[in-house]
Amino acid sequence: MKEISCIIADDEMPLRRYLKEQLTELWPALTICGEAKNGKEALNLIEKNQPEIAFLDINMPGLSGIEVAKKVVGICRVVFITAYDQYAIEAFENGAIDYILKPVSKKRLKKTVKRLKEQINTAHVPESGVVKTLEEMLVSMNIKGSSEYLQWIKAQVGNEIQLVQVEDIYYFKADDKYTIVRTKDRETLIKKSIRTLIEELDPNQFWQIHRGTIVKADKIDRVSRSLTGKLVVKLKDIDDEPLFVSRPYAHLFKQT
Amino acid sequence: MKIYKTLLSIQKRVRKHINSNFQKVVFRYFFYTLIFSSILIVLFPFILPLSFYESSVITLSISLSTAISVLIVTNFIKPSQPFPLLLSVIFSSGAGSALGAFGLISFSDHPVFNNHIVFFQLVFGGILFGLIITYVLVFQTVIDDTMEERLKRLTSEKKVLESNLKLLQAQIEPHFLFNTLSNILSLLDIDLSKAKGMMEDFIHYLRTSLSRSRKDTGTIGQEIEMIQAFLNLFKVRMEDRLHFTIDVPDQIRNLPFPPMLLQPLVENSLKHGLEPKINGGNISISAEKIENILRFTVIDTGLGLNFAQNPGVGLSNIRERLQSLYGEQGRLILKENQPSGVEAIIEVPYERD
Repeated sequence: MKEISCIIADDEMPLRRYLKEQLTELWPALTICGEAKNGKEALNLIEKNQPEIAFLDINMPGLSGIEVAKKVVGICRVVFITAYDQYAIEAFENGAIDYILKPVSKKRLKKTVKRLKEQINTAHVPESGVVKTLEEMLVSMNIKGSSEYLQWIKAQVGNEIQLVQVEDIYYFKADDKYTIVRTKDRETLIKKSIRTLIEELDPNQFWQIHRGTIVKADKIDRVSRSLTGKLVVKLKDIDDEPLFVSRPYAHLFKQT
Repeated sequence: MKIYKTLLSIQKRVRKHINSNFQKVVFRYFFYTLIFSSILIVLFPFILPLSFYESSVITLSISLSTAISVLIVTNFIKPSQPFPLLLSVIFSSGAGSALGAFGLISFSDHPVFNNHIVFFQLVFGGILFGLIITYVLVFQTVIDDTMEERLKRLTSEKKVLESNLKLLQAQIEPHFLFNTLSNILSLLDIDLSKAKGMMEDFIHYLRTSLSRSRKDTGTIGQEIEMIQAFLNLFKVRMEDRLHFTIDVPDQIRNLPFPPMLLQPLVENSLKHGLEPKINGGNISISAEKIENILRFTVIDTGLGLNFAQNPGVGLSNIRERLQSLYGEQGRLILKENQPSGVEAIIEVPYERD
């Protein structure tokens, strides 16, 4: 009978060891040819040893388990071992990729081993939907963690560079070669121009109201007309000089 | 410019005392009426043979009677469509200025009133006046209403999101929970004493975090103990990928301090800084008293801040709480650590026991 081998990848040693012991007990014929601590190591092991099965943790430093799975979809079968049950795991209920939730119970692992034994006997053909599902999972994971828009600004305060959360900014205002960043308790200067900022900031939160001014929408207290007819923005909490809206941007405040 | 600014500040001060919407409208109406009238009062003597006194009497009586009647009519009829509004303004300002003109002509001996045409001139002027003031007022209200609606929507959506996230934060993060439990389970067969130690740290951490999220007070020592248990748990899981130091002198540990201000910083360092870094790194937590300021520093050598990374409510939460507890004197400062990682500093005023 053909020798069947696998690799185990998890950044946490106790979990790797535990899975190894459970597999040895449930499937003695299975050869465990390597253990990996992160995604890159897992890929290297798979390429070197060409195992039939890869047990992968999803949340690993460097490359995540999903990215590894994407790359090896034609080479070996993947089983995810993970504590992450919120990322559309239902997508894999009927799919070619199995998953087990941490902590790994013997009963669940038995079921997976049985399935794997059945699958190994048939030729391994990667389903076309698998790669797409993996990509969707990656996207949903990334959305939860990051955004395509700027969330932090590096600003010079005295001798040091401080990090300002975009959430705390009231407005940006161009000042000669620099841009003023106004938060509740202070004003700092940054080198980024208004033009660059408007491309990087979330347009739903930040409105450009003037060639040299970007305002955070939820910090606006009221908008009124000055006696000269110009639109003027007054901000919550702070008492700065009001910001003027120039004509090309006045449409933002018109009744729709 | 200075006059404009003075007027604006007067308007602002008086506005602070006015609450209801109707009062707002009345106030604004009279404000603009007075401004407009003052301009006319000054101009008229140059066009007509009138003194400043006569000019003021005429202008004020016409403008005030116009303003009052427009306000009464538009607020009782409350037309929302532009055409009925226009009609009611014309009608009411006409009626008001007619009344005012009639009064002027009856009670004045001035030769300018001898001509009957003057009556119609005054009424016409009054209608024009009413139209202009109403136009300005309506315009401003429209902008205010639209903005208010938009902002209300934005802020209420934001508030719902925030309260949901705050609820989430108050619970123990499931990923952390299950990862820790699986680690303990795995260790039972491999290294029983390590498993026991981990279990104890976990129980300690759960007990303190669950009770402390509900309380408003605690000591720095309690917070540090919780952080210690938290880091111990991660140390077992990450082994060599995590090194940490805690440097908080005993005299500072006894001081009172609101709970869950430091722990989120450590959590951030682990979650975003060290865990995803292949070789891990180091966290150092320290506290010191500098004159009358208490400063806490959490430095990690992790991945640092990713500029597109959603900061989550943790940091905003800390800032808000610092603000409400200490006002301007509570600060959260974030800096980039060299060569990599984040330095987070919390400063609060030093309070004696």
